Amino acid sequence: MPKTLQPILATVLVLLSCALPGAAMAQLPRPADEVFRLTVTRPSNGDLRLHWTIAPGTYLYRDKLAAAGDAGGALRMATAPGTVKDDPTFGLTEIYHGEAAAMVAASDLQGNASLHITYQGCAEQGVCYPPVTKTVDLASLAVSPAGRGGVSLAGSEAPTALEVSGAKPAGTDQPSPALLAGNIGVMAISFLGFGLLLAFTPCVFPMIPILSGILTRSGDGLTPRRGFVLSSAYAVAMALAYAMLGVAAAWSGQNLQIALQMPATLGLMSLVFVILALSMFGFVDLQLPAAWSTRLTRLPATGGGTLGGAALLGFVSALIVGPCVTPPLAAALLYVAQTGDQVRGGMALFALGLGMGLPLIAFGTFGSKVLPKSGRWLGKVKQAFGFVFLGLAIWMLARFLPGVVTQLLWGILAIAGGVWLGGCDLIRGKARLGGRLGPEVLGVAAALYGIVLIAGAAAGGSPDHRPPPGASARGASSAVRTVVDPAEFDKALAAARAEGRPILIDFTAQWCTACVEMDRTVMQDPATRARLETLSTIRVDLSDYSAGGQTLMRRFDVVGPPTLLFIDPATGREIDGARTIGAVSTEEFSQTLSRAGA
Amino acid sequence: MHRRNFLSLSTLFAASSLFSLAGAGLAHSERGDTNAILHDPDAPVGGNPRGDVTIVAFLDYNCPFCKKSAPDLDRIVREDGKIRLVYKDWPILAPSSVFGARAALAVKYQDRYEAAHHALMGIPGHGIAEDKMLTAIRAAGIDMERLNQDLTAHAAEIDALLRRNLAQADTLGLQGTPTYLVGPFMTSTLDYAGFRQVVADARAHAAKP
Repeated sequence: MPKTLQPILATVLVLLSCALPGAAMAQLPRPADEVFRLTVTRPSNGDLRLHWTIAPGTYLYRDKLAAAGDAGGALRMATAPGTVKDDPTFGLTEIYHGEAAAMVAASDLQGNASLHITYQGCAEQGVCYPPVTKTVDLASLAVSPAGRGGVSLAGSEAPTALEVSGAKPAGTDQPSPALLAGNIGVMAISFLGFGLLLAFTPCVFPMIPILSGILTRSGDGLTPRRGFVLSSAYAVAMALAYAMLGVAAAWSGQNLQIALQMPATLGLMSLVFVILALSMFGFVDLQLPAAWSTRLTRLPATGGGTLGGAALLGFVSALIVGPCVTPPLAAALLYVAQTGDQVRGGMALFALGLGMGLPLIAFGTFGSKVLPKSGRWLGKVKQAFGFVFLGLAIWMLARFLPGVVTQLLWGILAIAGGVWLGGCDLIRGKARLGGRLGPEVLGVAAALYGIVLIAGAAAGGSPDHRPPPGASARGASSAVRTVVDPAEFDKALAAARAEGRPILIDFTAQWCTACVEMDRTVMQDPATRARLETLSTIRVDLSDYSAGGQTLMRRFDVVGPPTLLFIDPATGREIDGARTIGAVSTEEFSQTLSRAGA
Repeated sequence: MHRRNFLSLSTLFAASSLFSLAGAGLAHSERGDTNAILHDPDAPVGGNPRGDVTIVAFLDYNCPFCKKSAPDLDRIVREDGKIRLVYKDWPILAPSSVFGARAALAVKYQDRYEAAHHALMGIPGHGIAEDKMLTAIRAAGIDMERLNQDLTAHAAEIDALLRRNLAQADTLGLQGTPTYLVGPFMTSTLDYAGFRQVVADARAHAAKP
């Protein structure tokens, strides 16, 4: 597999090699504007004199010097004879080296406010430049670029007329990779950078309350130093979790992200959060085994269990944000799995995790300064985090539980939170009138919201809760066949091919949040829906991640849902360049549809 | 397909940090979509489609240097046997370049693109007249009636491909013709030894851990 990757990895390095000075760069020509410089003067007789300096190793064609007036009509231009170049591949050409001069007579300039000057040349190293057009303002004699001259699809006699300048590069909003190859130090630094970027995405937001929770739990003893130690433990553990993913991926060749999205894993993770919440409420006292604590307390300035707790939470947090950062993580894991290089894989992912953790360390260290030192409120805050942890638990469960159940859970949590905030006190009139009513009012509001949610759940779920895959726009497309194993797939494919329309293969799963998101947004777009109608769709449902589904994933080299690819009904083969992986925007998907011929 | 996977995934991955790392030099190419450049489904492909090194050739039928290096390019592709050659018609030098590129791409529909391409590349010099181009294509044994039909029937497709090529060249910051992307390297006119060297370098680069 690394073999098939090589050419691509190498080729995508193109972009880097163009950018970095090096051997490859030395081969590249300088821009035309750098090698040909046009200046204009206007002597007292009113003629316009044009002068070009031509960089060594380059030349201009005499017969490509041209001037046009405002209206575009060609003007007569006097030029000096050039050097005659006679080369078998070039034919007989007259060229200028070093400099060139031309003149447009004053009489020909009349009636024009500006001129368009076009010229063209080559570099001896073996490059010919497209024509350059400059606009010369006849009053100020200022020379300004007028875009790439001469040639356009529109400008030539042709079956169709198209404007080149308006053309937008197709799908160019995807930058190139290439950093996985090459120097391991550069790679680590790059991944650290990626991690830092990811840290500023909403993916990492859930981590901030978790970390705050840890800091709060340490209570009175919270100094910046301790904040630093705790948040570092958290961040490093998070990075270690990623590193382990990297190593495991390299070792097994499997994509572990899928395991992290499986109901069992998610259930286990939410259980962890429920236990943590209970400990926040004081129902359970979480203590690491004594032996661990002893070992950990030997480290200077640490407080035993809490440090371990921070590390444990950091580790778990890596898994929480995992799905959010699936595309980059999957890219890294896929690469690592295919190289089988465990050291590199581990390092890359560790750096990524560390990068994501750096802002958290800063928050832990400096954030703790601004926190008030102590007081009864700390207990309250601790309990508040208990609610946040419960919320996180529900949030994870929501990925595989039916919407109604999730809604019910949210409702219960909101009511509990409302009561906790003192909503009941307000209703019973026990609230301190004239005092701070904020929390109590909020409590009533939360409880009311909870009641609404539960009522909604009882009524069959609110419309804003996510539909099961298939109930949404993708389901609206005329011919959708849902399959879970290769046998069903083959049957569906045969039927779809008979319809003769491009076939969309949609790898999706109920637990795949990105799929649900796409169903709600991209697939609801009216234009997209109309185009989907022109396709046959086969949905591969990976919700229970059966062996059959995995076989299909392997058959199409699918890393995970959401992956959309297209099959040519005539050949039965995948249409090149029309695959999307991960969540894509409406525009990107529209371009993909075009590539697929939809 | 693994390749595509990797590409699309990792393109998402690189994000903008790539460019801050690589420095301002990337300004030209930062938006380049390598997948679109390497795997444009409409772009004619020569050589070994399963080769381990891809050469993407940005060429113009009025470009003497393209014509000069064409025999060496053909030779390295033929003799090496493991080079995938992607033709990017990039008509920028003269109006007749557009005419030639459209004609060659229309011949693709009778599966004779390379014959037409070589015929056009075989006309020496620049500023080639359109009728001279047609004569060369006819001499290569192309079905001219079919060519005319395809030119009309597939006009939109052909021009869409040309626009993509132009846009890709712009996003890569290409300066002129010819430009060859050889694995990770970008280069212009080369002789046979030069091509052999850069292909070897590209392989060495790819083999590095």
